[in-house]
Amino acid sequence: MSTSLQVTPAPAKRRKRGNDSQSLLSSVPWIGPALLLILAMVVYPAGYMIYNSTRKISSVGTDLHSVGLDNFVTVFQDPALPRIMINTVVWVLSVVVITVLLSLALAQFLNKPFPGRTFVRMAVIVPWAASVVMTTTVFYYGLDPNYGIFNKFFIDIGLMDEGFGWTKNAVPAMLVSIVVAIFVSIPFTTYTLLAGMQAIPEETLEAARVDGAGKWKTYIFVILPQLRSALAVAALINIINVFNNLPILKVMTGSIPGNSADTLMTYIFKVLQFDRRLDISSALSVVNFAIVVVIVAIYVKSVKPMQEV
Amino acid sequence: MKRTTRTAVVALSATAALLLSSCGFSGGESDASTDAAGGENTTLEMLVPTYSTGTKALWEGVIEDFEAEHSNISINLEVQSWENLEGVLKTKLQGNQAPDIYNGGAFAEFAAEGLLAPVSDVASPETIEDFQPAFADAEKFEGTQYGLPLIASARALFYNETLMDEAGVQDVPKTWDELYEASKLISEKTKADGYGMPLGSEEAQGESLIWFAGNGGNFGDADSISVDTPENLEAAEFMKKMIDDGVTQNDPGATQRTPMLNTFIQGQLGFAYALPQTVGQIEKENPDLKYGVTTVATKTGEPATLGVADRLMSFKNDGSKSAAVKEFMDYFYSADVYTDWVSTEGFLPTTQSGSEKLAGDEVLKPFLDMLPNAVFYPTTNPAWNATDGAFKSLMGELGTGKSAEDVLKGIQAKADAAS
Amino acid sequence: MAFLVTADRASRKTVIMRMLIGVLVVLIFLLPYLTMLIGSIKTQAEILSIPPDYLPREGAQWSNYASMWATPETPVPYNLISTIVISVFATLLVLLVATPAAYYTARFKFPGKMVFMFLVIVTQMLQPAVLTAGLFKQMLAWDLHDTWLAMILINAAFNLAFAVWIMHSFFAGVPRSIDEAAQIDGAGKLRVLFTINLPLVWPGIVTAVIFTFVSCWNEFAASLVILSTAENQPLSVALTKFVGQYSTAWQYVFGVSIVAIVPVIILFALIEKRLIGGLAAGAVK
Repeated sequence: MSTSLQVTPAPAKRRKRGNDSQSLLSSVPWIGPALLLILAMVVYPAGYMIYNSTRKISSVGTDLHSVGLDNFVTVFQDPALPRIMINTVVWVLSVVVITVLLSLALAQFLNKPFPGRTFVRMAVIVPWAASVVMTTTVFYYGLDPNYGIFNKFFIDIGLMDEGFGWTKNAVPAMLVSIVVAIFVSIPFTTYTLLAGMQAIPEETLEAARVDGAGKWKTYIFVILPQLRSALAVAALINIINVFNNLPILKVMTGSIPGNSADTLMTYIFKVLQFDRRLDISSALSVVNFAIVVVIVAIYVKSVKPMQEV
Repeated sequence: MKRTTRTAVVALSATAALLLSSCGFSGGESDASTDAAGGENTTLEMLVPTYSTGTKALWEGVIEDFEAEHSNISINLEVQSWENLEGVLKTKLQGNQAPDIYNGGAFAEFAAEGLLAPVSDVASPETIEDFQPAFADAEKFEGTQYGLPLIASARALFYNETLMDEAGVQDVPKTWDELYEASKLISEKTKADGYGMPLGSEEAQGESLIWFAGNGGNFGDADSISVDTPENLEAAEFMKKMIDDGVTQNDPGATQRTPMLNTFIQGQLGFAYALPQTVGQIEKENPDLKYGVTTVATKTGEPATLGVADRLMSFKNDGSKSAAVKEFMDYFYSADVYTDWVSTEGFLPTTQSGSEKLAGDEVLKPFLDMLPNAVFYPTTNPAWNATDGAFKSLMGELGTGKSAEDVLKGIQAKADAAS
Repeated sequence: MAFLVTADRASRKTVIMRMLIGVLVVLIFLLPYLTMLIGSIKTQAEILSIPPDYLPREGAQWSNYASMWATPETPVPYNLISTIVISVFATLLVLLVATPAAYYTARFKFPGKMVFMFLVIVTQMLQPAVLTAGLFKQMLAWDLHDTWLAMILINAAFNLAFAVWIMHSFFAGVPRSIDEAAQIDGAGKLRVLFTINLPLVWPGIVTAVIFTFVSCWNEFAASLVILSTAENQPLSVALTKFVGQYSTAWQYVFGVSIVAIVPVIILFALIEKRLIGGLAAGAVK
């Protein structure tokens, strides 16, 4: 099976393609274990979620009867949905884009040699290592208008006259949540990019230098293309994780009444926690899942994070 | 190098084998818990929430003593925070793993679906008769009692004497208008806030019912949930007036009770509704606070308050463990064990023998005195749990610009959808 | 400044500049955790005082770090062990199944490859949080309920995606000529993978290991329902036990959170050097 006609976006050297096509059977020992693990652990719960979305389930969890797609009708007729979708889009886009930009800069910086670099790298990893719930909780309490230490600091340096309820109103709470989400997403993204930078051959950089390319030119035309696949995977995982993130918004915006600060994920949680509707929340989860699948499919198709052989 | 390869292959195939074998199990759900059927030993599963930092140790002590007396019964205790309690319970119910003993707030929806054992199956007549009738009645669904009242608590108005002096407030407020005026004075003349209104998801339902009860209102009864009644609306409109006129703290719609009570404990708040435990907290965290405890302010000054009761209940499962559950309930509700438990947690007792033993308690006295006028949540209505959720998620909109009428209508709609 | 491209022979001024930026970065990333650390050595009353104090008024309560190992709320030493066991074995399992899959998909074509890769990424989209009901039933059926093994399998399955995808992209970056040379020498595929390729993709593996380990370390939703015995529960679940109905033992919440960060930092310190990959080290022409 020749693939020589295939056009790949990578400018890297085209290599000779020969006996790299394999039968499905011979791939089993290699991908089999991964496949098995996924099928064993994921299929049943995911199927159960989809099944629940077509049932009427009592508030204590008893499965009463099938309702076909009624739960989905309820979901799509929900007047709160448009605002929730807008919030979700704003949330995902702003967090992912800003995270990627800041991480690119930070990774570049951490790739430079300087005394104490290992320590700085370790510091950057801390928000990743710490539980997201705890990190968010610290921000939440730091921003409390009465006993929050960040609010006190803002007052002490004269920025504000009295404590402000950052987490008490939809818009500021959403902004603060975005900042926290970026803060906890940067370490992972940065390290993925940093690892990607390590894989850039020194000769490539040398060649660019010899050609007399400027720093920015080298970065944009030499380094970025080489980072492409690491960047693509990091962005992909970020999109999924931010889309599905519950803890940050739950802590930060959880006390705000109504749905003005909800994303799909926090709305699913509220339907389950307050309305006690497992059926509706399952339907919402299925919708949520479908949206992520579509986004990821479009992403994979257009960005091609998977390098072609 | 060869060795590395071989190790890897072995490891890989071991993983595969492990996964394959676990796959084989997947079909049936039958073989969960096969013990306890014929043997003499019974293991009870018990799920409880954390009331305080000492809750787990307190239960462990009870269980240890119980097991020492009943060598054929052992109890597996699982403690969860209130926030996670119901989620964990619901997952267990769906997996047919209902706890044999469960400590929770709502019970009627479980009773309505026939999941609970009637108390006559899991407690002796002496134990059942010892409950105060008012509490026992609140445990009935369609005439049968399912819950064993565990704790009771009532709300009282806590006031900061220092702030009242500073603002020139002479008398402790007894009516809504007096509370409004006093809060206004404190808000204007001191650096502190006047009245603390926690309408965030933690306590919106409790704060609302305190106000509704102050106007002769309630949340309905065993048969119907009624939130948007004229009495309730009038109370909600007064609450909104308090908010709009700025005599409460900022952002009451998103304020949780725990941090708000903390501002009271720290002397930064004039008035707040609080509970017996708050007295202990003040003693621990700010013993210098000059404060008093009095009855709830109502529209006319007539006494009324919110009463809260939590309960123990037993999911019947296949019924084989009810004898063991009965042993435990009878042991736990014996006067000494129960009184020790309830007073350590700082709650009001629900049994007659317990009340007699704790009658002399200084801290509990004002709260005990208020109990006769307490309005309770309609826990006997299966739709109560969803109503509770609606209050938690929607009542705060009173503070974000919605009219009182629309807010109550929204809550009523959610309650109707659940019943 | 951060966009300087050349890595070597920076001027003194540049190096000082880098160090200053480094200090700033450290401050930004550690600030919340310093707050946490300071909170953990305050008394309960101090944490909630209004207005707050930056530093402990009554002296640092380092004793909180001693007493937190024997709190009435939860058996912290057991929780720590649970977290370690679950995370370590789940990470090993992920490496074990992800490495061959990533290598194979990067090197060879086979029918259904795209389907496989997409199926893998789907596991990342399904958060255990929305699947707890099904996971619980499944673990009951397998009689794995309340066991470490259940959480090891769940964590491994739901964290496979990143490991497969990132290692895939690194394997794909290794020139095929290296493989071919080895194959001519008569080496089998496995040997080519382990002896030739692995050393070249260390940065990818390190990232995958940290990612997996950290996710397992902080997993909460599934552990909450599947592990019911206090001794089996990980730290993430244990933390919630300090939250009472009317008061929370914040000093322990903060203290345990700080302690929970340390093992991840240690792991990172141990493998950080591997971030300098074989390719960058010039092993490949």
